[in-house]
Amino acid sequence: MAAVLVAIAIGFHGLTGSFLTAENLYNIAQQTAVVGIVASGMALIIVARQIDLSVGSLLGAVGVLMAWLQYTQGWPVVAALLAGLGLALAVGLFQGWLSAVVGIPSFVVTLGGLVSLRGVAFLVADGKTQPVTEPWLLALGGGLEGSLGERGSWLLGVGLILLLWGWQMLQRRAQARAGALPGNFTHDLLKAGLAAFAVFGTVAVFNAYRIEGQEQGQGLPLPLVIWVAVVLLLGFVARHTRFGRYVYAIGGNPDAARLAGIPVRRVMIQLNLLLAALVALAAVVAMARLNAGTNSMGTGMELTVIAAAVIGGVSLAGGSGSVGGTVLGALIIQSIDSGLLLTDVSIGWRMVVLGQVLVAAVVFDRVVQK
Amino acid sequence: MSKTALLEVRDARKSFGGVHAVDGVSLSLAPGEVLAVLGHNGAGKSTLMQMLAGALPFDGGELLLNGQPVKFASPADSRAAGIETIHQKLALADNLDSVANLFLGRELRTRFGLLDDAAMRAAAVPLFARLNPNFKNIADPVMSLSGGQRQVVAIARALQFKARVLIMDEPCAALGPAETAMVHDLIRRLSAEGVGILLVTHDMPDVFALSSRLMVMKNGRPVATCRTADVTEDEVLAMIIAGKAPATA
Repeated sequence: MAAVLVAIAIGFHGLTGSFLTAENLYNIAQQTAVVGIVASGMALIIVARQIDLSVGSLLGAVGVLMAWLQYTQGWPVVAALLAGLGLALAVGLFQGWLSAVVGIPSFVVTLGGLVSLRGVAFLVADGKTQPVTEPWLLALGGGLEGSLGERGSWLLGVGLILLLWGWQMLQRRAQARAGALPGNFTHDLLKAGLAAFAVFGTVAVFNAYRIEGQEQGQGLPLPLVIWVAVVLLLGFVARHTRFGRYVYAIGGNPDAARLAGIPVRRVMIQLNLLLAALVALAAVVAMARLNAGTNSMGTGMELTVIAAAVIGGVSLAGGSGSVGGTVLGALIIQSIDSGLLLTDVSIGWRMVVLGQVLVAAVVFDRVVQK
Repeated sequence: MSKTALLEVRDARKSFGGVHAVDGVSLSLAPGEVLAVLGHNGAGKSTLMQMLAGALPFDGGELLLNGQPVKFASPADSRAAGIETIHQKLALADNLDSVANLFLGRELRTRFGLLDDAAMRAAAVPLFARLNPNFKNIADPVMSLSGGQRQVVAIARALQFKARVLIMDEPCAALGPAETAMVHDLIRRLSAEGVGILLVTHDMPDVFALSSRLMVMKNGRPVATCRTADVTEDEVLAMIIAGKAPATA
């Protein structure tokens, strides 16, 4: 899939001459973050044989609520954001309870949520757009002020790499202490090198983007930083915690998970709460990008998010796929969308192509499995 | 039977919507004993085993471990009490590797609460090697393993967690001759170590090769319990089919 992404990027660059520019990559990174944040949680939901169709509408309802509480009700910003998180968690708890405890298929539960929560997004502010003005909040949406700058980006990049290398070393030491054979050393070295190359390459590209009138390069946009943090955290949870192990076990064989004494219902509800929290976070970023909360925020996003997960290698049958894969999936979708926009393809054709890309990804998955 | 049994069931009952799947079954199991449980499909064997495994609640009757009455609310309770169950459709998560399956639901964790993969792997390697020296691909998802290897993973759970009672539901049903011999060997070793084993099976050679006593069920009711050495294969078949205890038993 990484090769597909590179091919798409080179292809569009050949057509437009402006795809692989620092400016365009900066925009793609910002635009993909909202979908990417939600997709990383959706990956785990699908791994556990569930689906959530309500994420787009929930993002709308939460986004409008947070903006309305600030603008119309005059709440402090932080209180408004926490109220939005509270709404998201309440919805997650209710839907998780319906599917895990009552036993209603998550498809049905969240299809209802898709419709109802969009209604809530209208009701909160009576359909009116709610502007957001708090500067630090707007910075979370990226743009001119919303990035780390050159030095900050290098520092974060170096910090990230040191963290990854330190973690790798700890893993090897733990393996040696337990008397198990540590993993292949060249393999680990290669991984460490690739990670450093990717991180520093990304920093270099974004530092090269200088907006007119600015003294230095933009560096990493904050939406991207938030997205990467979410992916690293969730990837870690999936791989190294009991909760993550149980999510995969439930997806692989729900009966086996139950017979092994795994608290399946509790894990499912926790999983729903996790996704709801991510939707609230994505709503903050989306609101900051739009400078407002609107009732149409996140419309149709559920399909882009699910497509990102599936293209990123998450099997709809459950049990397999990774959080990290959704990064590629989300970037592929956004790159195609953005590339078609740059080549002046009409909205109609863009939708036609994007729909078939999803189908092609699943076909590809089937063929590879056989 | 007068001395304290490892596991004792008294008058167990379970019904599903008016159908008495298990209807007044009693049994006892001594340490190191292999008790075969026989019967047609639908005789209630698997239901009884699921009740002992904590997967189904008792409608009536009692379960005693070492003479103490116990009640299981979940499979985790049963396992915590030292009963390990190998279900007919091996309860393995096919997408996870053998080590993850061995520790499923009882993962070892580091002092930070994270999965201790290194320690789990270190414990699993010698255990799998002891059960089956040819078992090398322990890092592969279990869906890619042979039936015998999958059975080894399931049996390894009993050893790793020092089970006192092992319930095996058709352990050799899907295995070839060599793998069946391996499982027989494992059952004998576990029994020699003092593990009480409930062996649910259709297979007469399994019964006569392994069990010291056998119990026959029909339509949820016990037909008879007798020493395996006291009966012939024909008599056992008669009990299963006709539901009548032989005169000799």
